[in-house]
Amino acid sequence: MAMAALRREGRRFAPLISPRPITAVRSSPIVPTHEDEGPIGVRYISTQVVRNRMKSVKNIQKITKAMKMVAASKLRAVQTKAENSRGLWQPFTALLGDLPSVDVKKNVVVTISSDKGLCGGINSTSVKISKGIYKLNSGPEKETKYVILGEKAKAQLVRDSKKDIELIITELQKNPLSYTQVSVLADEILKNVEYDALRIVFNKFHSVVSFVPTVSTVLSPEIVERESESGGKLGELDSYEVEGGETKGEILQNLAEFQFSCVMFNAVLENACSEQGARMSAMDSSSRNAGDMLDRLTLTYNRTRQASITTELIEIISGASALEG
Amino acid sequence: MTLNLCVLTPNRIVWDSEVKEIILSTNSGQIGVLPNHAPIATAVDIGILRIRLNDQWLTMALMGGFARIGNNEITILVNDAEKGSDIDPQEAQQTLEIDEMHNLACLFVNVK
Repeated sequence: MAMAALRREGRRFAPLISPRPITAVRSSPIVPTHEDEGPIGVRYISTQVVRNRMKSVKNIQKITKAMKMVAASKLRAVQTKAENSRGLWQPFTALLGDLPSVDVKKNVVVTISSDKGLCGGINSTSVKISKGIYKLNSGPEKETKYVILGEKAKAQLVRDSKKDIELIITELQKNPLSYTQVSVLADEILKNVEYDALRIVFNKFHSVVSFVPTVSTVLSPEIVERESESGGKLGELDSYEVEGGETKGEILQNLAEFQFSCVMFNAVLENACSEQGARMSAMDSSSRNAGDMLDRLTLTYNRTRQASITTELIEIISGASALEG
Repeated sequence: MTLNLCVLTPNRIVWDSEVKEIILSTNSGQIGVLPNHAPIATAVDIGILRIRLNDQWLTMALMGGFARIGNNEITILVNDAEKGSDIDPQEAQQTLEIDEMHNLACLFVNVK
């Protein structure tokens, strides 16, 4: 009872002994003090300030935890689709081969990224690899162009490679991804861009914690002809008799378009999975950091509170003893 | 000697097992494939794929794509595929009628 009364007395005095706010402490370099305790001469920082900080950190923790749950549920939805679409491009690779090392004149780099942020470093790695491919393939007679899917890559590539960008497509994920949508997109790209080889850069989803940036190569039919004639990996294409159209060239053209749309579909799905997985782990580490910060702030709060109580007690007792005698 | 048939669509694997014979419809007509067929790569039209298992014939509707036939391995990649047993005749008839009316309406709009 007495303690409560003393505490109430102390609180009335507290605003008079007004401390400097925390920000001012950080900006004064001459005073070598521990960040939370304030400069020498002021006993403590106000518990109110610490309490406000704790409240905002707690809110942030709740929000990031919720975002992690949302990302987890979205991941589960897209993951089954991505796994089903993986089997699609294997026959193409078996027939036409995957030749990233083919030397071609016109390269088109299709960079797939996310529209929303807060998903870790996956977009930066995709952009880095696209720029790397651009550098690898630059030289006399060779040109490389970009086709960008997603806001994040657009923001990064518009800054320094503006003249090389052919096509930008954003807001891909407003409606759930379907093959028809992606095939229309692939059609648009094929119509507007001249290419010898298309390199699709995306993040392949291996597991919830591992996303590997990968490049898939789709060659144009002329290059396929050239390579198959020169032998090597594509030599077995000739052993297949090609039927079902006027000329072999027409079939190969259709095949290349179909291959491109299948590979794009798989790439977009895998990138979506990787985005949700990266967001999950980013939000998870963020809420864990918020928890740590909250622990530290609680300790500071308790220390501040106890220091203020001790100060009040000392003043009252010394005042009382001065009166006595 | 059996053929290994694999029918794939972008959304799922429709068929992946062994069969005795298939009849495929391509732009240049229908072709029948028996074991030890020569290797061919062909475009597949929108049509019906017939599969024979022992003595039973199964049908599947394919929405166009490609097929690759190699040493007793057939891989068919199509935009969409539906097994005959999964198609409800009533529903299909209704969809057909709606589509026909829709086509007629479009004609009128164009004429105007």
